[in-house]
Amino acid sequence: MAPSFLFSQFMGGLTTAMFLFLIASGLSLVFGIMRVINFAHGSFYMIGAYLAWQMVQWVHPAGAGFWIAALFAASGVAVMGAVIERLFFRQLYGREELYQLLFTYALVLILGDAAKFVWGTQQLSVSTPPVLAGSVQIFGTTQPLYTLFIVAIGPAIAFGGWLALNRTGVGRMVRAAQMDREMLDALGANVGTLYTGMFVVSAFLAGLSGALVTPIQGIVPGMDVLIIVQAFIVVVIGGMGSFWGTFWGSVIYGEVLSFGILIFPGFSLFSVFALMAVILIVRPWGLFGRPL
Amino acid sequence: MRLRHHLSLLLAAAASLPFAASAEDAIKIGFPIPLSGPTAVYGEPILKGAEMAVAEINAKGGVLGRKLELLSRDSKASADEAVRLSRELIIKDNAEFLLGTLTSAEAPAVSTVAKENKIVFIAPSAKSTLLTDAAHIHPYIFRVASNTDVEGLAGASLMAKFQDVKTVATIAPDYAYGHDSATAFIAALKKVRPDIEVVDQQWPKLGEPDFTPFINAQMSKKPDAVYCSLFAGDFVTFAKQAGSLGYFKAINNRLLDPGEVGTPDAAQALGPDYPYGIIANAYDPVIWTGAEPPEHKKFIEDLKAFTKTQYASGWSANGYELVVSLAAGINKAGTTKSDDVSKALAGLSFDTPVGKRSFSVQSHETFAPEYWGMMVKDPNYPFAIIKDPQALPTSFPTN
Repeated sequence: MAPSFLFSQFMGGLTTAMFLFLIASGLSLVFGIMRVINFAHGSFYMIGAYLAWQMVQWVHPAGAGFWIAALFAASGVAVMGAVIERLFFRQLYGREELYQLLFTYALVLILGDAAKFVWGTQQLSVSTPPVLAGSVQIFGTTQPLYTLFIVAIGPAIAFGGWLALNRTGVGRMVRAAQMDREMLDALGANVGTLYTGMFVVSAFLAGLSGALVTPIQGIVPGMDVLIIVQAFIVVVIGGMGSFWGTFWGSVIYGEVLSFGILIFPGFSLFSVFALMAVILIVRPWGLFGRPL
Repeated sequence: MRLRHHLSLLLAAAASLPFAASAEDAIKIGFPIPLSGPTAVYGEPILKGAEMAVAEINAKGGVLGRKLELLSRDSKASADEAVRLSRELIIKDNAEFLLGTLTSAEAPAVSTVAKENKIVFIAPSAKSTLLTDAAHIHPYIFRVASNTDVEGLAGASLMAKFQDVKTVATIAPDYAYGHDSATAFIAALKKVRPDIEVVDQQWPKLGEPDFTPFINAQMSKKPDAVYCSLFAGDFVTFAKQAGSLGYFKAINNRLLDPGEVGTPDAAQALGPDYPYGIIANAYDPVIWTGAEPPEHKKFIEDLKAFTKTQYASGWSANGYELVVSLAAGINKAGTTKSDDVSKALAGLSFDTPVGKRSFSVQSHETFAPEYWGMMVKDPNYPFAIIKDPQALPTSFPTN
């Protein structure tokens, strides 16, 4: 096997990984720290993609308005997240997981239908922003600039998230809330606002990843449900509530998928699920998580 | 409580009014089709085409003096849901016929319901050969769609024209249709060009968000040409990712896709990112360069007015054909009894906007050819169109 081929397969896996990480990082925050199983995270991602498409149509169909559109989409989804958290999620903290599951599943259906109502069922697409439309040759392989951009942005978000959680006052509160929410409340911290803030950040990341995915993926109804399972897999592999865990979980997922199809061409998903089964047997708390 | 009770009575009365007003003896046709989820992009235009045909027929007085009434339901592209809805449509809503379903998962499942209830069922788009092969054929199942054997013949005949192609690869979604499609193409290709070698086969799952690993793996085998059965949203995603990786350049744009990505539906989605130069197909190319049949021109004009869209869908013709063929069958039988209509449909010829069709007596297939051609830029449209669409295959089994 040629080394250039192995390199392009590696880069392909890394691209998959970084996209998954963008989506799963927000999920990890809410799932791991707030202990809320948010199935609607995939729907936030989908709404982000649709909003980005809409903004590109309004601003500049040729793609120059892409960055404005991405920011608009992420902010739009963040605002939506804030409203949903204040009105609904607030009632669910501390309740049984079943209620959260039912509620977020209802959200998936409602947002899915709402998106269909507004944008129809036609598949949509956004062009790559002109600045990143080209490609470069690395080790005799063609690497699209946009892919390299995504590969760079993943670690940046992981590092930023880690800094925010471990080196700031707010981050300390967030970690305290993860350990004992009631104690933090009793100590006078405003846990309600803290939770809203985390939820908004999570929704922002979902909206941003939805927008960033549009240049390399079609926007179709149902993209919400397809992505959420993969996102949960990497969060579980990496360990709940750990940004780096989710990061490495995504990298492992992407690379195993990428090289797995070379070994078992007919079973592209087999290797990924086999890996997840093994990790859950050996380390049920995930690679970077702590035993409960 | 009392107020709510009264309200619900009122609502119930209001809901029953339209039924009381319309002719009691309308011919009810059950129509399960995906109207939500990723496959609704096909479901909706197929339903629209059927609705337009019903409107046209009813305006001329209906069939045997009775109006047609479509009862459409969202099958969610699920076989279970389509079966449940079909049973409900027959038992509760007194549907006398079934039309619709989209995928090769739904259609064979609904076919068994049609068989149990002895009700004629015509499928618009499912292509799996399992629907009407010797083990599954029964008097009540018919299909206006093509099948994977027919599209394989068309694909192989086009591939054979590339004299310098020595190696091919396939990429197809990992479920019944994808496997049938790739297998049928290779079988047909072996007959016309035994010298061509199949060097790679990729099976991404349906709805795969990231084709990059599959694309790289395929490029590493350096095929001269590719038979790609990806369609709809999957094709959009694939084309964008493959384009930026230099995939189409590496194969000189010699990619054949039997998944109807030549429709304006798919071309509009990709806009300027469409991989120009590939060869694609459509049941109805909609935008017909060259000698357009007048009946097609009229159909598209009517369709645009009916759906109030700038560019019509390439899928509405399939829905239109369902209703036209059923109406012709009922007229010929002189009754709506499914046993008689079934006999009338076998061997029946009918006109469609995209050419004449007839149901084979034995297999109840139309062996519908599709329109193939190279996807090119056209200054009149902001998206790719099929250049000189050609109906293929030109000859096929007629049993």
